Amino acid sequence: MRNINFTKYKYFTLSFSFLAIVLGFAITFGKYGGFAHSLDFNGGLRTVVELPADKTRSDLEGYFQSKNIEAVVILLEKEKNIYQLDIGLGSLETIESLYKEIPEANRESSTSAIDRFVQLLRYEYKLPKEKVLSADQVGAVVGGELTEVGITLLLTTLAIILLYLSIRSQFKFALASSIALVHDILMTLALIGFLQIKPSVPIIAALLTLLGYSINDKIVVFDRIRENAHGKDNLALSNIINVSITQTLGRTINTSFTTMISVVAIIVGGAVELYDFAFVLLFGVIVGTYSSIYIAAPISEIYDQLRKKRFA
Amino acid sequence: MQSYRLLILPFLILAVSFTILYPNFADRTLKIVVKEDVYSLPEADQKVLVTALFERWAKDYGKTSGWTIEPQGTLPPKENPFYIVKGRFITSAKINQISQENQSLVSESKNKLEPTWIEETIRGGKSLSIKLGLDLQGGMRVVLKGDFDDYTSKLKDLYAKEIAELNLILNNPTAKPEEKEKAKSRLTEIESSFDLSPMRKIVELEKAKMIIDNRLTTQNLTEPQVRIQKEQDAIEVSLPGVANSAAILEILQNTETVEYRLEEPTPFLYKSQIADNERRMMDLGKRENTDIFLFQELVKNKAGKKAQDEFLEGLERKYNIPKDFKVYAMWARGNAAKSALLPRSFVVLERKIALSGNDMTNAQPSYNSNSYGWMVSFTLTPNGAEKFFDLTSQNRGRNLAIVWGDKVISNPVINDPIAGGRAEISGSFSEQEAIRLANVISEGALPIPLSVLEMRFIGPTLGIESIEVGVKAVAIGFFLVMIYMIFYYRLGGFIADVSLLINLIILAALLTLMDFTLTLPGIAGIILTAGMAVDANVIIYERIREEIEEGRALSIAVTRGFENAFWTIMDANVTTLIAGILMIRLGNGPIKGFAITLCWGIVTTLFTSLFLSRLFMELTVNRMGVHHLNLRPFFFGKKETTNA
Repeated sequence: MRNINFTKYKYFTLSFSFLAIVLGFAITFGKYGGFAHSLDFNGGLRTVVELPADKTRSDLEGYFQSKNIEAVVILLEKEKNIYQLDIGLGSLETIESLYKEIPEANRESSTSAIDRFVQLLRYEYKLPKEKVLSADQVGAVVGGELTEVGITLLLTTLAIILLYLSIRSQFKFALASSIALVHDILMTLALIGFLQIKPSVPIIAALLTLLGYSINDKIVVFDRIRENAHGKDNLALSNIINVSITQTLGRTINTSFTTMISVVAIIVGGAVELYDFAFVLLFGVIVGTYSSIYIAAPISEIYDQLRKKRFA
Repeated sequence: MQSYRLLILPFLILAVSFTILYPNFADRTLKIVVKEDVYSLPEADQKVLVTALFERWAKDYGKTSGWTIEPQGTLPPKENPFYIVKGRFITSAKINQISQENQSLVSESKNKLEPTWIEETIRGGKSLSIKLGLDLQGGMRVVLKGDFDDYTSKLKDLYAKEIAELNLILNNPTAKPEEKEKAKSRLTEIESSFDLSPMRKIVELEKAKMIIDNRLTTQNLTEPQVRIQKEQDAIEVSLPGVANSAAILEILQNTETVEYRLEEPTPFLYKSQIADNERRMMDLGKRENTDIFLFQELVKNKAGKKAQDEFLEGLERKYNIPKDFKVYAMWARGNAAKSALLPRSFVVLERKIALSGNDMTNAQPSYNSNSYGWMVSFTLTPNGAEKFFDLTSQNRGRNLAIVWGDKVISNPVINDPIAGGRAEISGSFSEQEAIRLANVISEGALPIPLSVLEMRFIGPTLGIESIEVGVKAVAIGFFLVMIYMIFYYRLGGFIADVSLLINLIILAALLTLMDFTLTLPGIAGIILTAGMAVDANVIIYERIREEIEEGRALSIAVTRGFENAFWTIMDANVTTLIAGILMIRLGNGPIKGFAITLCWGIVTTLFTSLFLSRLFMELTVNRMGVHHLNLRPFFFGKKETTNA
């Protein structure tokens, strides 16, 4: 079988990944001041309204866009045209000023943000009171707890994987897999920040899924490397890596492809609220596959070279 | 593994799985109960209510849904006040919806989904259908407000004795100035604890939250979310797809405590008074006029805690009992083995609490084979142990009652001082009651009484549209993946598809058995499971093909392919499993839901890919006379030669 020289570009791919991550985070924090706000993470306003039959989702979205209000519109019930509107905390000031534009005759004085938003909606869509089915100022569901738990979780998982793989194969492969895993998470977070995708429960699910997928992918590649390296100490590791990756390439392509079919089906299918989930997952699958080949394997090779130099 | 007989295993597993999953697809019967007071309304009003129900019914559940409702458009007879709904896919969200939209007609807490025969047989009537999370189908949200006034009054009961003693010192003209000074500072300290700062309130709410969390876990609810709303001193509880709100609410709000209180000093002045009076009534043949009979009636009629409290307060007035004492009922079972726990007599206890539940920890229920009854043993905190020793040494010969909620469940005489910090409570408990009591002691009671500030049913995180489209997309995705597998690996692909389907069926059955609540992250876990299951087969087939290409005979190639792939698949899945178990242990809410499906998915994947696929493959090759296995895609595959 023809061998493809994957490790040839290792310094290029490593620098590319590093730059992409740095750039992503720089833009996230430099330009946007952090990750996007979302109701699940930061809390905000949540209203459920029944709209007149001639109003659609795109009317609502158009309205919020034109007023510069960040809103997530969810269709709850088709027959009755009931929508749930989630407004992030970032739009409170905009709502405040829009509320003041309502003619005096049409507004009641009010202090709470949610009340003002409801009045704004009712004025804009000429809604009677009973069509606003619920209105709440909600706290964050997952935010604080999740960042805390998430980091502990990631670190512990990495430690265990490191240990398990060190025992099952070799430390260099365990180390390389772990670094590649961190790489995948950082890359995806950089993308989420760069595109200002709103963190939500589905996004968390996507991150976890890609973590699982990525672990799986790396182990398959490394298992083959370990198998091929067995009893061939004199052969250059880069050579073994190239052979192994080439051998598993068919499997890698097939698995990535079948996983992507499901994900793309969700994107093409048009489930608006699942779009972010599927998009992050799609990116995750690509990054996971890329990092197994172009990040994890080269790192194990570099580690190997460094060690040999030290003991030479 | 080359044996026909093993084939029985997958068929057996599939049969069991389908049986477990049957309630999800079966025709079901739902009994909607009409409120009693509807029957006393004027006929016109009744008609309005009934018409509203049926108009709404026709609109949402019309002819296409396949649901029927009886009796058609009329009020069912009073003796049998049920509307019977029959149909498939009746979800708890729908049941809630029907109840919520017809609040004045339907008695929500009594609605009942009749168990199917399978649920009746293997679960004793407990549901076996897959539950959907709040984010998929909506559910109940309750906001419980902490009642801090009640909390402080209870605190005052606890400190009543000390405050009285301190005041005595302060008002004593002969007391030393430094003693007075000390008493004064202690008094301010106690009083300051009655004054609740926002910080203190949060601490108490945190404690309550923890206890609610624990109580919900024992209710088999997988992803309840409990969080504190600081702004209004409240705790918000989200319960996915919960239909039986009344029962859950009762569990959440239960402020039952366990306390020790001393009985009035012997001889029993007040207790004898009550007992004499009761006996007199009995002698006159007026059993139904005795207070204990009346009290039992209150309990049997479920009049509620408030009515019971009022009754006992009435007794205190009737017998002129001083305000330092309080009347309680002693609860026990009758002589018959399964008789109900009921009030059997009255006792008069000191109002002040001798030892509170906070002094006890680590309670365990256990069965006492000597007395054939359940008891609860527990440990006292160091501070509690000291108090308990003082209490028992100073009050020898008196009775020390154990009060659970508002029931006296045991009232032993103190014979000797008890040291060592361990104690037990025996009473006439059933196993369930012993467990509950042990829970109350271990978890502690809710520190603050909670009242319902707001309760409503909420919509899902994803809209109906997204769920419909999403399910369709996932189904299409699966279908395409399966087609692709057949296209790429031909017969092998077909075998992989069969084991993938079996995998998902087993997984669904397992999750159902575990009363798992399916959420969006849970679905993500299932999608990943499917991906990894496909991957396992891909790894195996690539290995088999390599073996074939190296010129091995087909049956050997298959065996070696599976053997070579075994550790790779194991390593990949075990590592993911470890990560998943960590997520279950550390995470909660969305992370946990994802991790549970993932972990079980890995277990089923290992079984189907390493055992089932292999079984199918070997049978195909060795028994069904397939001598040529081409694992190359159609159109692109080069002709392979194998030695059969």
